[in-house]
Amino acid sequence: MTRPSDPQAMTPSKPGRTRTAPPQLPDDFWTRPRMRTYLLFDATGIVYLLVGLIALRVAWALADGAPAWDALLQSFASPGYVLFHILALISAIFVGVRFFRLFPKAQPAQIGPVKPPPPAVLHALLYAAWGGITLVLLAVFGGIWP
Amino acid sequence: MKALLLRFEPIIWVLFGAGIMVGTLLLPGYLLTVTLGAPLGLLPDGALSFERAHMIFSNPLGRLVLLAIIALPLWKGAHHTRALAVDTLGHHSDALIGSLLYAIAAIGSLLGIVAVLAI
Amino acid sequence: MADSGELRKRTFVVTRFDPDKDQVPKTQSYEVPCRPEWKVLDALNYIKDEIDPTLSHRWSCRMAVCGSCGMNVNGEPKLTCKTSLAEYGDTVEVAPLANFPIIRDLVIEMDGFMEKFKAVKPWVIVAKEKAAEEGTYRQSPAQLAAFKQFSMCINCMLCYAACPVVAKEPDFLGPAAIALGHRYNMDSRDEGAPERNEIFRGEGTVFSCSYANECSEVCPKHVDPAAAINQSKLLAVIDWATSFVVKREK
Repeated sequence: MTRPSDPQAMTPSKPGRTRTAPPQLPDDFWTRPRMRTYLLFDATGIVYLLVGLIALRVAWALADGAPAWDALLQSFASPGYVLFHILALISAIFVGVRFFRLFPKAQPAQIGPVKPPPPAVLHALLYAAWGGITLVLLAVFGGIWP
Repeated sequence: MKALLLRFEPIIWVLFGAGIMVGTLLLPGYLLTVTLGAPLGLLPDGALSFERAHMIFSNPLGRLVLLAIIALPLWKGAHHTRALAVDTLGHHSDALIGSLLYAIAAIGSLLGIVAVLAI
Repeated sequence: MADSGELRKRTFVVTRFDPDKDQVPKTQSYEVPCRPEWKVLDALNYIKDEIDPTLSHRWSCRMAVCGSCGMNVNGEPKLTCKTSLAEYGDTVEVAPLANFPIIRDLVIEMDGFMEKFKAVKPWVIVAKEKAAEEGTYRQSPAQLAAFKQFSMCINCMLCYAACPVVAKEPDFLGPAAIALGHRYNMDSRDEGAPERNEIFRGEGTVFSCSYANECSEVCPKHVDPAAAINQSKLLAVIDWATSFVVKREK
């Protein structure tokens, strides 16, 4: 029915007059739908770490020359890499959607003279930037322009 | 180690914030082309041949974009993996795990700078 | 009293813990004939009044303003005076608020919360008090709007029961405390932001928050502590950066 929280959770610095039972969590605390989504969100951290390290290989291959570059692209065509990069794409979209949803309320009402735009405007700007940057990268990396 | 982490926390958070924002904005375009489109032959001929790829990424803006794609996801990744570690393993190993993860992000970022300058 | 409809028998599985008798908390089941309009608190009071007077639970206002009656109902932190039984089936589990040490039955130890609360200096801090002759502080509606939402907290601690970081990081200041500190940081009368931001970057660090947003999901007063915490992170960073440039009085 329950599982333990950290034994020191919410414990005062001085003990009370009677013995207390340790803090506890409901058994399904980590498996409830909202919590599962949040844990998945944190787990994309592992995917992002790997994406960054693999992108390092891309830079090194470009620095090493044409044979290294061709070999790298060939290795990226293997099932393992393809599946990982599809997972990375899904993760990036999942992260983007959740992050953009939570972004507006994380902006203070005012910093000095600066006030953020209303949430609806922020959402529009974020998604416009996402779409715009993606299209530009697709065009440039995709061979359309220049 | 915990005190050291606390001291650097603001700057780590800024790098994480940049990572989640800029990293997420850049990743779909990069993943669809460089990591999936080109290897699977889905792009027009020569789109990411070595000559063209080198032309794009030896351009100063190209170097910057590639550095952003290397470094920024590393900081987002390190920070969120650390949070996942606290959620699952508790806080006792947090100082060690956090330091290790941020060290990976820092070293990866430095190597990224060296790598993009070498293109 | 008018007949309010058919009574429905529900089973309440309630956590019991007597520190003089029990090693660990256990549960005890009670059959309660529930009126259709009842809240969870009504059932608990029925248990205490009619079935088992040894049951201990906190409650007061019955109208969701005092913050006393927070408990975990079917695993979710709720104000029991505000939670209708119509949301539940034949069995309802009532446990003490998660993440707090348990004093007895459904009563938790609050002192840990009070310490975090006091740590953020939740009062208007001014270098020099205004003299009475100078008149009152004036605030525009916009200045009030910058912090008003965060002043609505009733200290019910549901947010602490919902937070995955509170569950794992004992030093974390927690949602309500940070939201209250932020309320004062955003108050135009207050000059204490540098002091509070140092506390926000200290051992209880606001940066431990991983933006699960659970605190805001469970808050019965729509304070949105997650918004306060994440606004605080940005302001704490700006404060940290400017502290290198601008000399501060200690």
